[in-house]
Amino acid sequence: ICVGVLPRTACILRIIALCILLSHAAAYFGLTGREPLVFLPGPFSNDAPTGKAHLKQCEQMTLTRRQKRLCRREPGLAETLRESVRLSLLECRYQFRNERWNCSLDGRGSLLKKAFKETAFLLAVSSAALTHALAKACSSGRMERCTCDDSPGIQHREAWQWGVCGDNLKYSTKFLKKFLGQKRVSKDLRAQMEAHNINVGTRAVKSGLKTTCKCHGVSGSCAVRTCWKQLSPFHDTGRLLKYRYDTAVKVLSVTNAATGETELAGPRRHSQSPRTTDLVYLEDSPSFCRPSRYSPGTGGRSCAKDTSCQSLCCGRGYNTAMHLTSLSCHCQVRWCCHVECQTCVREEERYTCKNA
Amino acid sequence: QTGVNDLVDVGWVRHDTDDHISLKTCLDVFQDFMSKKRCLFRSLAMNPLLIPEAYIIGAQPLCSQLVGLSPGQKKLCQLYQDHMQYIGEGAKTGIRECQYQFRHRRWNCSTVDNSSVFGRVMQIGSRETAFMYAISAAGVVNAVSRACREGELNSCGCSRAARPKDLPRDWLWGGCGDNLDYGCRFSKQFVDAREREKTPLKGSYESARKMMNLHNNEAGRRAVLELAHASCKCHGVSGSCSLKTCWLQLADFRKVGDLLKEKYDSAAAMKLNSRGRMVQMHSKFNAPTGDDLVYIDPSPDYCLKNQSTGSLGTVGRLCNKTSEGMDGCELMCCGRGYDQFKAEIVERCHCKFHWCCYVKCKRCSKTVDQFVCK
Repeated sequence: ICVGVLPRTACILRIIALCILLSHAAAYFGLTGREPLVFLPGPFSNDAPTGKAHLKQCEQMTLTRRQKRLCRREPGLAETLRESVRLSLLECRYQFRNERWNCSLDGRGSLLKKAFKETAFLLAVSSAALTHALAKACSSGRMERCTCDDSPGIQHREAWQWGVCGDNLKYSTKFLKKFLGQKRVSKDLRAQMEAHNINVGTRAVKSGLKTTCKCHGVSGSCAVRTCWKQLSPFHDTGRLLKYRYDTAVKVLSVTNAATGETELAGPRRHSQSPRTTDLVYLEDSPSFCRPSRYSPGTGGRSCAKDTSCQSLCCGRGYNTAMHLTSLSCHCQVRWCCHVECQTCVREEERYTCKNA
Repeated sequence: QTGVNDLVDVGWVRHDTDDHISLKTCLDVFQDFMSKKRCLFRSLAMNPLLIPEAYIIGAQPLCSQLVGLSPGQKKLCQLYQDHMQYIGEGAKTGIRECQYQFRHRRWNCSTVDNSSVFGRVMQIGSRETAFMYAISAAGVVNAVSRACREGELNSCGCSRAARPKDLPRDWLWGGCGDNLDYGCRFSKQFVDAREREKTPLKGSYESARKMMNLHNNEAGRRAVLELAHASCKCHGVSGSCSLKTCWLQLADFRKVGDLLKEKYDSAAAMKLNSRGRMVQMHSKFNAPTGDDLVYIDPSPDYCLKNQSTGSLGTVGRLCNKTSEGMDGCELMCCGRGYDQFKAEIVERCHCKFHWCCYVKCKRCSKTVDQFVCK
């Protein structure tokens, strides 16, 4: 860090800055945390959480002290955190299934140290998943400290009478800020970029909030209606974030002449700062074709012959293998009321990229 | 790496026994010629001696002067004088198509010099070599079949292929089609002659190369056969299609190139088993058919210039900044980075049609950004 030329005070300041930077990195969790993530947590179990089980779960996860404290206070939080990790991982893999970097966990550590487009996406999707999972957990009654959405304009008691419960996004965003510890945004470029991208994630979830109504007037008419706010399914948020990833903007730090503070700004031609809904990144990504410390390479990836093999295999060509797949066929409805299917075995060609 | 092996391949040892004695002295004299890469019939494409008139008079000496033919091919040359021009054309078409198909990749099928065409790249049994063999064999089939139809060759005429089964009943089959049958047979005889002369040891690398080359030549010929189709012409009353005559026609060579490029992408890696036969390297993948290309060596690194593998490197290649594929600047320059400079491009613009009947265009120049690998 300190080359011999610098004076001593500057050297110490640099070490402190590095410590702050590292502590920032440790504040995030899940896909963007330091947890090895060797297991894929299962979906919510249906039985009610027993008293002290959540304490053990809180200890198992890699969290900072403050995060552990929040986790211990709130019994339903541990499950919610696991659910958000699962959501973000599945969504990331689904959106990048046809790209050279397919969100594999292998190179994640080194990838997070650099500020690529992929890092920006990881930050956004993990914060979006956390927001989503928290809001859903509130409305499902798994958390003790929050319940249904109680924003003005909705008759709370009436909503409860009809069994309608909106997703509590307000609590979710407030809690997220506490959890990730974003009180002060330092002047460091990397921290600013991370804060910006996390914000993009939460905004993406917020933009998917829709008002859904149910009509229950006389003989089903819409004379009497109950409305509540509902989050869109996480796939839609994932798709929106993937679109933002495709249109991400490379930024550098610029000192704002008016306020004297540093802020993010795009490359020379666009002198205005990037929009609050754009993902930002600092360095150009490498090509993920060959195995490197950022990814295991594209050798062995399955691809589709006409569409994705050309770009995925990076010109190395592909191997063809026959694969037996079984699927349900000749399905019939039996009275009453289940469907019986037979299993047909079919041979189809599978294409995988060559290694070298 | 000059030695007796190189001499064997060019066929010196096969001459009369008198030449055996003078081999050693010949070696010194032709030292730098032999140090070059293998000569292949593809050098006919570059040979400036290929003018048709030259074959009319004093044909015999010319065959022995042609560089790059094996002794069997030289004998065939003497038998089929008039075919040589078309073989050269076919090889040239093959090379041109190869350069078109590979224009966006690191190895862009560039030719090295007149005597060896591609350099040492052909000595490695990689996928690129497989493609090259296939497309040259296909080029020869193409050229000879066309020449037969046009009546340029004495030993063949129009196609005598049988009427295809899927042709509608009231269409006539006839006309003068490209003589694919003759073209394939001649290409098989000529191009494969070089491979068939070799008698490598069972289980050696040379035997694997011989089998690989024969397989790829056949794959190239089959590609042309597969894409040949029935082409028809309407000649009924005032040009209506009440009367239709169909004949066999070769496909556009670009389509053959596209098909072989697909085969290149899905080529199969092979190795020699203990009995000396070629088997797949990984048996879980599909076995290659007669239409597929096979290769035995992995491709060398085409990023850097390397004398021993014959790779020319990618320094100085143009790359496309916005592309994500192999011609994008990241992959083409292999991470070395690129230089940007402005270039003036002159192109035709403001074209106008004049009566009658030509088009006149002006020339406009514009500056574009070009990116060149470091």
